[in-house]
Amino acid sequence: MAKTDVVAMILAGGQGARLGVLTKTVAKPAVPFGSRYRIIDFPLSNCVNSGIERVGVLSQYQPLALNTYVGNGHPWDLDRNNAGAYILPPYQRSGKSDWYKGTANAIYQNKDFLDDFDPEYVVILSGDHIYKMDYGAMLRSHIEREADATVAVYEVPWEEAPRFGILNTEGEDQIVEFEEKPAKPKSNLASMGVYCFTWKVLREALVRDEADPESNNDFGKNIIPMLLNGGKKLFAYRFAGYWKDVGTISSLWETNMDILDKPEDINLVDRSWRIYSRNPVKPSQFIGESGKVTNSALTDGCRIFGEVNHSVLSESVIVEKGAVVKDCVLLPGVVVKEGARLERCIVDFGTIIGKDVKAGPKIEGEGPYTNHKLCSEGICVFERGLKIKDGAEIPGNSMIDSDIDAGDKSVIEEKFRV
Amino acid sequence: MFNDVMGLILADNKKIGLGELSEPRALSAVPFGGRYRIIDFMLSDMVNSGIKNVGILTYNKYKSLMDHLGTGSPWSLDRKNDGLHILPPYVNSEASNITGDEELAGVLDFLRHSRSTYAIVANSNIILNCTFDDMIKAHESSGADLTVMYNRDALKYGHPCYILETDDKGFVKDMLYNPQKATSNKTSLGIICLRRDMLIDIISRQMSHGQTHFGLHSMVKMFDEIKVYAYEYAGTALRINSVQTYFNASMSLLKDETRNDLFWSGKPIYTKVKDEAPTLYFDNAEVKTSIISDGCRIYGDIDHSIIFRSATISKNTTVKNCVVMQDVHISENCHLENVILDKNSFVRPGVRLIGHPDYPVVIGKGAGI
Repeated sequence: MAKTDVVAMILAGGQGARLGVLTKTVAKPAVPFGSRYRIIDFPLSNCVNSGIERVGVLSQYQPLALNTYVGNGHPWDLDRNNAGAYILPPYQRSGKSDWYKGTANAIYQNKDFLDDFDPEYVVILSGDHIYKMDYGAMLRSHIEREADATVAVYEVPWEEAPRFGILNTEGEDQIVEFEEKPAKPKSNLASMGVYCFTWKVLREALVRDEADPESNNDFGKNIIPMLLNGGKKLFAYRFAGYWKDVGTISSLWETNMDILDKPEDINLVDRSWRIYSRNPVKPSQFIGESGKVTNSALTDGCRIFGEVNHSVLSESVIVEKGAVVKDCVLLPGVVVKEGARLERCIVDFGTIIGKDVKAGPKIEGEGPYTNHKLCSEGICVFERGLKIKDGAEIPGNSMIDSDIDAGDKSVIEEKFRV
Repeated sequence: MFNDVMGLILADNKKIGLGELSEPRALSAVPFGGRYRIIDFMLSDMVNSGIKNVGILTYNKYKSLMDHLGTGSPWSLDRKNDGLHILPPYVNSEASNITGDEELAGVLDFLRHSRSTYAIVANSNIILNCTFDDMIKAHESSGADLTVMYNRDALKYGHPCYILETDDKGFVKDMLYNPQKATSNKTSLGIICLRRDMLIDIISRQMSHGQTHFGLHSMVKMFDEIKVYAYEYAGTALRINSVQTYFNASMSLLKDETRNDLFWSGKPIYTKVKDEAPTLYFDNAEVKTSIISDGCRIYGDIDHSIIFRSATISKNTTVKNCVVMQDVHISENCHLENVILDKNSFVRPGVRLIGHPDYPVVIGKGAGI
């Protein structure tokens, strides 16, 4: 196989448990975002726009939707003759076989894939962030500084620093220490989970890490400290553009709302850095005579006969006459029947909100689906493929989950496959 | 679904002009319905019928058509075997006299290389969502040599048109071109099916008589020599014959029945993917009874209109009964009614432009007003 400069590896195997029912049957990177995208469209498009054409997608948890979505990589121009997108699930081998034990182990298990390309550099990415970043610029800084590893960092507000993996640096941003969620941070440079390694150095570290039974096989916790202790040159690469984690219900909701409130920040209309996605093959949106759409983002196949305000709608959503949708994120194929009023709801694939259903923070009290662990700020989340009973009232901070036995109080009329 | 049929689309039509809309492009490449080109419908119909080998016959202005079709991948026609073939005119030793317009010679090779039994040949001025399974079945059971699809539009769409007269068994006994009075309400839809070997025979014969232009109805006209059966299509079919019929066809998409029949029948209409951002509706946007495509930014009022991808409608601007194509920018304080704005056109602030519903104003591609 031809010699390659750089290969990107996207860690897309995580469950994303904090997204609750949204990741019950799909991995987090396959969760729809921003009306016409999935989360993984961002790292994939960043790779292509950065000129990286060899991209491994490491899938493990509920890989079906993700594998189908990425497919042959065609929507991102990643169906090249000798390059492209490669889905890399864990596999059985003679001797011992394993699931991906940690981020570092996932790359370790695919060292043959990387060796075949024999790249000079490897870029490691996570599939949980919404951002536009030129990995090529980071790579150039890695090469110029003759680094062994470069870690992308984001300056977070000091008070938020204890929630992140923090890198302490000296001089020209040379990394001297990594601290996971420090109580008293010495720096506000948070690791973005975007790494650039010289493959030879990383390969050696992965092999050593694998031999250590005590290791968590994690990049932040194990590989970075090991390289620092070994006297390797690690640098921080400061990134200042838009960067949002969408790992929780409230951050997923907020980041969707950013498209409406601060459209210039992520700037999806930038033709020099397009975010590509798999096209749903649906006709254009239709707004009926009784429809009213303000301050919202819509895409192909939507049919609106009711009122939509400050909401993000994915493809083929139907809002019937007399229904009101406010501050919501509706994923593909959701139907909101007449008279329903939704506020601050995230509704997953194909769920049908029955007539006159009311949901959101204006409904007071608690119900059988109240979930303060995952939901906050009055946001309600609906599992995919449900028919919600006509007239149901659902208080804020609920997560409608078909696995919860709510007895008579259940608002679920039926569950179907979408 | 069948594997045994090939398709041939005649991408332009010398009898039909859409004024400024067809000036920069072939008829079939004229944008339609928010995100499509006219050819997308026929091409998708063929693909949805299981046809995997499609030739597109062009004779000039085919650059925008080729940009649009590319390798055929949006229609799953980027195949090793068969797939999409663009057939520009070329001069071939088989043509008896060289006129620079040798469509027939160009298509003959393509037909000879195919292995299918039947061919569907279609004009490109028809918008419908159908499959050809039933037509082929009717063709086979009628014992006809050639079958032509029609509906009962009579002269509803004006000229040009071909009116068919049939006998009591449904065979064509006369065909009238642009009659002043219709002697029957059966109007050809410009779609025929016949055996591929027969198509090759007919074309060879036409060439030896010095004909160079591929005319679908010149084959229907052979009803005296071969058995020509007429097959009725009862679904929605929009004919594009003129700027006026283009405008009416566009506006008819705002009716639920038309939209449901063309787009939501379960058979998708494929088109080139553009990867535009979602459309943003801002605070004061007022949109009613309109088709809106991706990538638009809407600050003003839109009523009863078709808006293509990545158009901008600014504040305090009203767009009513208009067709606004891709990348059009309409500035603030404008009022547009019954206007067709072609791609990339630009309307400066404060412009007031009102056409008549029976005679819409057309702003050409890239024009600034």
